[in-house]
Amino acid sequence: MQKVIKGLLIGLSLLSIAACSKTDNYPGPDAGFMGRILDKTDPEKGNFLTETSGMQIKLEELSWSATPSPQTIPSKADGTFKDTELFSGHYRVTPTAGAFWPVAGEELDIKKGNNTHDIAVTPYLKIVNLTHRFEGSTLVMQFNLQAPVTENLPRLLDVQSFVNVTKYVGSGATIPQYTSESTMQKIAANWSDAIAQRTFEIRIPDIKEGRVFYARVGARVDDSYKQYNYSEEITVQLP
Amino acid sequence: MGVLFACNKLDVKPLNIIQDEDVFTTENGVNAYMATLYKALPIEDFYYRNNDGGFNRGWEHFWHPGALCGELAGPYGSLGEGAMGFGYWPYDNIRNVNYLMATLPKYAVNFDKAKVDQWLGEAYFSRAYFYFALVKRYGGVPIIKNVQDYRTPMEQLQVPRDKELEVWNFVAGDLDSAALLLPETSQRGRANKYVAAALKSRVMLYAGSIAKYGAVNYVDGEARIKGFVGIPAAEADRFFKQAWEAAHLLEGHYDLYTKKMADDKVQNYADLFLDPSSNETILARDYSLTSNTAHSWDATMICRYMTADGLSRAYPTLELVERFTGPLPIVNPDGTPHRFDSLADIMKGLEPRLLATIYFPGATLRGLTFDTQRGIYEHFSGTAEAELGVTPPNLLFRHLASNTNVLWPENTGRRVIGFTGVSTDGDNTTRTGFYVRKYIDYSKPMADCGLYKSTQSWIDLRYAEVLLNRAEAAMELGNTSDATAMINKIRNRAGAAPLSGPVTIDSVRNERCKELAFEKQYWWDIRRWRIADRILDNTRFHALLPYYLNDEKKFIFLREMETFQRPYSFEKRFYYEPLPGGELGKNPHLYPNNPNY
Repeated sequence: MQKVIKGLLIGLSLLSIAACSKTDNYPGPDAGFMGRILDKTDPEKGNFLTETSGMQIKLEELSWSATPSPQTIPSKADGTFKDTELFSGHYRVTPTAGAFWPVAGEELDIKKGNNTHDIAVTPYLKIVNLTHRFEGSTLVMQFNLQAPVTENLPRLLDVQSFVNVTKYVGSGATIPQYTSESTMQKIAANWSDAIAQRTFEIRIPDIKEGRVFYARVGARVDDSYKQYNYSEEITVQLP
Repeated sequence: MGVLFACNKLDVKPLNIIQDEDVFTTENGVNAYMATLYKALPIEDFYYRNNDGGFNRGWEHFWHPGALCGELAGPYGSLGEGAMGFGYWPYDNIRNVNYLMATLPKYAVNFDKAKVDQWLGEAYFSRAYFYFALVKRYGGVPIIKNVQDYRTPMEQLQVPRDKELEVWNFVAGDLDSAALLLPETSQRGRANKYVAAALKSRVMLYAGSIAKYGAVNYVDGEARIKGFVGIPAAEADRFFKQAWEAAHLLEGHYDLYTKKMADDKVQNYADLFLDPSSNETILARDYSLTSNTAHSWDATMICRYMTADGLSRAYPTLELVERFTGPLPIVNPDGTPHRFDSLADIMKGLEPRLLATIYFPGATLRGLTFDTQRGIYEHFSGTAEAELGVTPPNLLFRHLASNTNVLWPENTGRRVIGFTGVSTDGDNTTRTGFYVRKYIDYSKPMADCGLYKSTQSWIDLRYAEVLLNRAEAAMELGNTSDATAMINKIRNRAGAAPLSGPVTIDSVRNERCKELAFEKQYWWDIRRWRIADRILDNTRFHALLPYYLNDEKKFIFLREMETFQRPYSFEKRFYYEPLPGGELGKNPHLYPNNPNY
């Protein structure tokens, strides 16, 4: 029995070595696709305020198939995207799954080597006039909401705070105790002048002394994706 | 001469393949054929899970769909693990049904007409069941009602999707055909006229609520624009009416199980799921040791302390408990935690149905007590709220443990945690303070509670659900008096007081969630009500954690997060599962895929 097992093991190990000796002869990925996601409404032409994977660039490789399986490039925290392992070809490129008005896809060729392409979107909401102060150990953040386009704007859901110890801060990177039901403010209403004029205030109690935190606030609407539109990050430290 | 003879008879039917006439000429043959259909029916029984193959999976029954949506705190790390399905695509089974429908009439002369009708009725019933399982997952799918021949051109074999509305109508039509053909009664585990009606009440309720609520809360996309997902809202009332009528048909033929009501309402409710003679059971699936179908519910929903083998990983949430009780009386008016002499005191005055659905700390099973304890406080001062805040005042006096060997005070004291939890390590004892009781065979000796040793039946359709279907349909149609009557019937059997105040859609839904807890319905309910993305929005679930106060010799309960603190978020696209990638590859006419996939 032992001999049989040993024999089998030797055979298997030989096979496993033999099996790896031949790589396939298909060409590897030869193209990269990268760029900025721009906020159409920003006069300073800044990047769209988002978080890691706060939106996706959907790619459909039309030169491969009329009904290709979509692949996506997630956004980086700074509002850019980059994928260097793509195949060159003709693609439909659609920004999607983020807190902005839906846009139609754009067909373009991704050529060998690096391709740079910027994409502009219109956010549902913008957070403006953000101020912050400490009351004891409670961080108080005040801000207003703005809607670049108000017609047919989906119902507003809520505003929420996000706090992290690095500058990568958002709904996917936050300290749960600073992003909870008690820091969330439900709006649950359609856009109105009253909301435009309202000053929102989020209070985050028990901020730890001496530590540097990165904080931002976000607001959501009830669209298909329920992602947040963010403020810029601010750095806070309780002395 | 020899040459001439030899070629005479070469076209002999192969002996190693079972021919139509072998199957369809005898009753046993047809019954065997039916057995394969019943076995394949997508009944979401003990074995069913939302991921990894779905039906007929192994012993790990704690991969329960309830653990994806807040009924249970369970092993799913995130909602995405189960929400996108497992590529269910039962067209092989549908072909078997279609084949039976096409072939059996040719052999009908061999049987009584009643028999043939019954078999055809069962075929319609099972085909409806398969399409129901498809449409509730994907929306519109190709409706195949004939046996496809592999010799037809590829183009015709690649059938495009039908609209979601058409599939729901098709399912309703098949169930109507089934009800016309089927007899009044049937052998256990098989369909009859009322089984078909009961399923129809469920199906039509789903269709109605998807029409109504899916018209408001949806994800836009090509598939929606073309009607492959989504039903026009105007269809809702027609579906609700059909649901109500189908449910009404069962009146007088089945009833709620009340055999032991007079003696003990808890016992009565627990036994409803264990008594094979229950008059509430409409369609059940049976299991046995001899047929190698026995399941592992007893060994995987209760921790190893009370079983012979296996382990548990899914535990009822406090949110589910609070559907029955509201906030439990664990805090005094001054905010301090209420002191209990024994754990079991928490169960005083609770609804019998709740106690028969969930094991509380202090309950007993197989001669053992759920000694559930999160830890020991040397002493405890102040309020529960302060203790649950960011800087708990008694933290320094609190002792937790990963296993039952840890004592406090060391060596001489008592166990810091109970044998049934709550541990700081792992999830093989409760994370919430509770255990599932529904379907647990409490009279089985511990030694028999092993893997693949449980034989209690899964009740796929029972009369209580039919009443709830009827109540919800009535409510949606504005018939509040009928809804109230049905809900109070359920509540009476549950040992609860009649509804106080006017009935609302929320009270009807809440009753459904309570009555059908752990029956693998809640996942589909929150989907069809289109509320899943609201109630599962970075949501964490809660636990009822008991602590022993060493100086006072009393127990307190704290309402804490379940020990893993897992957040669950339901993306709106999950209201439909993606069409399986392999099928899209084989049939380009299935495009467009559902929105956002």
